[in-house]
Amino acid sequence: MPDFDSGHIFLTTMAPIKGPSGNNTHTSFEQKVRMALVKLPTALQSPATKGIGLNSPFSRNTRTHLARMFVLNDAVYNGRVGSNPLLNMGENLTQLQHVDQLNCSYLVFCADIDAVTDDGAPLPKVMSAAKQKEVRANYARKLWDTMELELQDIYSNCVGFEDVDTADEFAAYLEKCHVQTTMPFHDYYLDLPKFNDLPVKLLVGAVLVPAVVALLALLLRILGYLDMPWLGWSSLWTFIGAAIVTALALGWAIWYANQNGEKPLPPAKYDDLPSVLKALYMQQNFANFAIEQQGATAEDLHASFGAFLDRHKPSDKTGPTQTPGVISSAAMAQSD
Amino acid sequence: MTRSLNLNDIQGNVLRAYGRYSFPFARYFFLNIAKPHQGRAFVDAVRQKVTTSARWPEQAEKPDCTVNIGFSFQGMLKLEIRQRTLQTMPLEFVEGMKNRAFILGDRDNTKIEEEAEGWDAHWDPLWRRNRRGDGNDSNNVHMWISLNAQLKQPGGDQPVDALEEKTAWLRDLCAKSDDGVRILPGIGRDTPDLDYLQASAVFDDVGGVKVPTPKEHFGFADGIGDPVFEGQYPADVEKTAVIGRGKRMDGKWEPIATGEFILGHPDESQELPPAAVPPEFSNNGTFMAFRKLHENVQTFDEVLTEEAENYAKINDIPLIEARETLRAKMCGRWVDGVPLAVVPTYDEWLAFRTRKGMDDPDPFKAAKAQYDYLKSPEASDFRYADDMACVKCPGGSHLRRVNTRDYLDPLNAFGTDPKTGKPHSNPKATSALNKRRRVLRRGLPYGASDPKNNTDKTQQGVAMMLMGSSLFRQFEFVQQQWIEYDLDFHQGNNTCPLLGNHDHHKRHTIASDPASVRQPYVMSKLKTFVECRGGEYFFIPSMTALRMMAMGIVDPT
Repeated sequence: MPDFDSGHIFLTTMAPIKGPSGNNTHTSFEQKVRMALVKLPTALQSPATKGIGLNSPFSRNTRTHLARMFVLNDAVYNGRVGSNPLLNMGENLTQLQHVDQLNCSYLVFCADIDAVTDDGAPLPKVMSAAKQKEVRANYARKLWDTMELELQDIYSNCVGFEDVDTADEFAAYLEKCHVQTTMPFHDYYLDLPKFNDLPVKLLVGAVLVPAVVALLALLLRILGYLDMPWLGWSSLWTFIGAAIVTALALGWAIWYANQNGEKPLPPAKYDDLPSVLKALYMQQNFANFAIEQQGATAEDLHASFGAFLDRHKPSDKTGPTQTPGVISSAAMAQSD
Repeated sequence: MTRSLNLNDIQGNVLRAYGRYSFPFARYFFLNIAKPHQGRAFVDAVRQKVTTSARWPEQAEKPDCTVNIGFSFQGMLKLEIRQRTLQTMPLEFVEGMKNRAFILGDRDNTKIEEEAEGWDAHWDPLWRRNRRGDGNDSNNVHMWISLNAQLKQPGGDQPVDALEEKTAWLRDLCAKSDDGVRILPGIGRDTPDLDYLQASAVFDDVGGVKVPTPKEHFGFADGIGDPVFEGQYPADVEKTAVIGRGKRMDGKWEPIATGEFILGHPDESQELPPAAVPPEFSNNGTFMAFRKLHENVQTFDEVLTEEAENYAKINDIPLIEARETLRAKMCGRWVDGVPLAVVPTYDEWLAFRTRKGMDDPDPFKAAKAQYDYLKSPEASDFRYADDMACVKCPGGSHLRRVNTRDYLDPLNAFGTDPKTGKPHSNPKATSALNKRRRVLRRGLPYGASDPKNNTDKTQQGVAMMLMGSSLFRQFEFVQQQWIEYDLDFHQGNNTCPLLGNHDHHKRHTIASDPASVRQPYVMSKLKTFVECRGGEYFFIPSMTALRMMAMGIVDPT
């Protein structure tokens, strides 16, 4: 499964962190990345982070649903590869096995973003590889424009970042670090879409029918029938022909299943970040409105609801709305 | 291993025995934290001066005076490290060295707990007050800080001024901590106010010129065969350093797996050593046992003299030969560090010394010859599997206990090889049953070196630091099973002739080559020559973990 699914890009990038050479400060670049990351404010999602008052720099754009940066020090070592002691009695257990290692530490940056080049644009159902690349580059430029200082603080400890001074160069850099993954993290559909169901019966039939013919022909041949009953064809050639068709059908069925699996699912309704924020904003304000209007007369309710619609503009996702990176609109009001 | 260690993240005392890198002086401080917040601020200030393992000079400048820091479990508790991390710390570290005295043989283990009451009366006041278990935390040792200093001038015996400056800096940090952190006094029995342990190499006076030596106070050259592990040295240095100091596999010397000494790396059993969570907190850290080992030089001299007289009489040899031979047979090396496994007899040793230039009439040339020899792989390149009968080097000698080399390979053959008529040489013997019991030894002698005036009562000994990724599996095992017990070497209850407790077991057997005229000899009047005067187990965190401790956040970034 590629990075693109349900109208989102599930971005994964790995930037190699510089090794020890030429660093005369007693502090490793890995440590410097960790220090830059630990200073990066998180979103205002808990009492502790709300108290700091500094929001995550990723909240400066309205495309990022989730973002995570961390240091991947090395591949996790899980001990010797075990084997069946009876089958492998000759194995020399005193011989150390090779231990897989990364060639260096990496800064991993993952993000779940709207697959658009304009904030709030409708989410696409399908997207070509070239267009995906453009979306990634556009997002990288957006990050550079909104959080250049933070990015420099973090990425200056990574290999090859010395030449990055502009948004375009950062986009090119991040593209080099891009890793295609199969691990989307995502929110929910309001209405289930039409899934790309596999036509299992058709696929099984396409393989089984020639397979049964092949087996039958083989059985007849073994029992001494040189020709197929009624049809009169050579049972040997029937077997060979049907076996070839079976193999082809099997290959096709596997290819088809893979292709089907790679098809992205369509985006959910209201699944772009501005819509999500607007929905959160409306939910909270409408709940307050409903409580305030308990016991109101029909006329008053009608008038108030008109005022509510005027004030909160439910159909306009550009505003008023909830700021990115806060736990509630009330929290936003407090931190303002 | 293709990837190098992040040396900038590992504290410098883990990779280097500073004494061998021209730092012949040290001061060891033990501190108490009264207020967690000030404690963290103190750690943050010290952290920024900590010497890492970064290579000199290409990765970092060699300092005049190094700084390193470690924490006892109680210190980590006081610094408010989160419970999830603390509760995954190893049990022996949580209990601390004092509570492990029974296992370590620091207290008489023929006595039950009630009878042993007050067993630590001979410890320094600092260590007696530590871990009393009475709920009073104000005298507990929370932190260990070591300063190691270079020589001010060649030919002198004074440290660089930076040592005093760094000491003042530490005192200043404590003064500014609003009584939050204090250096604990009580080092030495008769010096209640002394608040650091001053250690230094033993200096020889050669015509008024002072020369640092590798000796400890009994006169033995010390600190020679320290283990070598993967990533410790650059590849070109490792090739020779590993000889005799790594593990022996298929007739070759190889570096020991990093994980035996540094957490977060695969160890000799091809596992990650068990360590506290999260891995970012433990990785590149290690554990250290600090032990103040007092040396009873007077008793050692008296016992040696008495045994030597007897040995000389039985074998009809000069007293000097008997004395030097017994010393060597107790240690496993002659006093100058030449191993018995290579040079087994007195005459051969004298010839060897002459050949190596160690008897040069010019004392500087002689000292240089010895220094070069001890630094060379030759001083460590020997094995025991070719001496299963222990005729060259006694089975109970100090050296064979603390590093058994290839002796314990279960496939080793005893007796005489019928083909050659000589003892089996077991050329394929490996370091099995030894490679998971190695410890990094760090430290220096302390106390004045004045062989004429030093007695059991004067303060002298070795400030010993033993490091490894498991104190239980490595240091404690060696101490309990190999130093204070002898079954693995077929010597019953005998204890290490040098380090062992001899209250109950006073014997040391010296086998003799049946082909020689020399009689076997059993030393039987041993007394306790080395006694522990206190100590503690410390965690030596990585730079990453130090930063987390200082910030009060153990985070997963």
